[in-house]
Amino acid sequence: MFLMAASGVSELSVPFPSSSLARIALGSLAPDPEPRKGGISKELSVTEDTLHVRWRADEARILRVSVSSFLEHLSLVVETMDLFGPPVA
Amino acid sequence: MPVIIGFEGSANKIGIGIVRDGEVLSNPRRTYVTPPGQGFLPSDTARHHRSCVLAVLQEALHEAGLKPQDIDAVAFTKGPGMGAPLVTVAIVARTVAQLWGKPLLGVNHCVGHIEMGRLVTGAQNPTVLYVSGGNTQVIAYSEHRYRIFGETIDIAVGNCLDRFARVLKISNDPSPGYNIEQMAKKGQKLVELPYTVKGMDVSFSGILSHIEEVAHKMLSAGECTPEDLCFSLQETLFAMLVEITERAMAHTGSQEALIVGGVGCNERLQQMMEIMCQERGAKLFATDERFCIDNGAMIAQAGWEMFRSGQITSLEDSWITQRYRTDEVEVTWRD
Repeated sequence: MFLMAASGVSELSVPFPSSSLARIALGSLAPDPEPRKGGISKELSVTEDTLHVRWRADEARILRVSVSSFLEHLSLVVETMDLFGPPVA
Repeated sequence: MPVIIGFEGSANKIGIGIVRDGEVLSNPRRTYVTPPGQGFLPSDTARHHRSCVLAVLQEALHEAGLKPQDIDAVAFTKGPGMGAPLVTVAIVARTVAQLWGKPLLGVNHCVGHIEMGRLVTGAQNPTVLYVSGGNTQVIAYSEHRYRIFGETIDIAVGNCLDRFARVLKISNDPSPGYNIEQMAKKGQKLVELPYTVKGMDVSFSGILSHIEEVAHKMLSAGECTPEDLCFSLQETLFAMLVEITERAMAHTGSQEALIVGGVGCNERLQQMMEIMCQERGAKLFATDERFCIDNGAMIAQAGWEMFRSGQITSLEDSWITQRYRTDEVEVTWRD
């Protein structure tokens, strides 16, 4: 679910089959900082089996680049989980 | 007997290799080849890697005959390199490391080349010439660091060759450097080009600008052939590299030279280095295209050294970095 508010804050919630998979996705997607220096920030968190992403951006153009690259990375994580999961322990 | 899997994708090659105590169990690789006249751009390269990384991973495990539970740690290239391709490959490495419950090892790409070169050739303490599309450095080990004695002050030697290939629309398949090398063998005439060694450093961008400027004029005037230009460019660039490597060897008193990196599989460069080494009574070590060119096993091998000496990378510290100098790494695995 993608929400965009007038305040320049946008949110995305991604449900996973389990909380451990949601935490793995967080672990894979959180370490890299935004390649752009300013004008955008992104925060990731997990509650139960849902990955939450919250963007703050000055311009729609910058937000679009970040969101589309995030979605590509997310789909790569999900494909990797499908092929090389389930998690041990 | 630690088994390490290594993920590499800092440029236009995606490779995944598995190493067990110095033995390469598998090392599949795919190359993103662009049409003649075109270089590889970060986003297109990342898309290429994304489209084949999982197939390469399956191939690496299958060829090694191993299951995920047989792996002890997951190594990946932390940098240097192109941002988008690095992130793509790091994301897969982080995901499998977590799925399999294994530690991560963030490897410096340049250190990966050095460790693979040492493993394959058995060189003990060589002066290293590291030459590729993105890097040009002369390196020697001292006091837990790979110290940079000389380097390019602008573009890498391989970048100079690749961009020259685009000027002449030379094919990028299997690589522009390979095709230049084959054409250079038929060169008859040495065209004079700028020679720019500055102390221990080298500069290639002016040579590239010069040859870009004169190539088509000379060719259309019939003053030289494309083969002559390939020959002349190689002779000039490689002479510069041999000069700074020799100076570093004189300084360190080293009796071993090792060539690593993609340009290192050029046989003319190896031959010129061999002549220099023979004159000094030193020994030259080089590897073939399997290990010279970017591959996953080199990342696994450097990761194996890190793992053995107790260095692991936490998930939070596993961010990739486009700039990561060879001498930033503390070499905890050597005396």
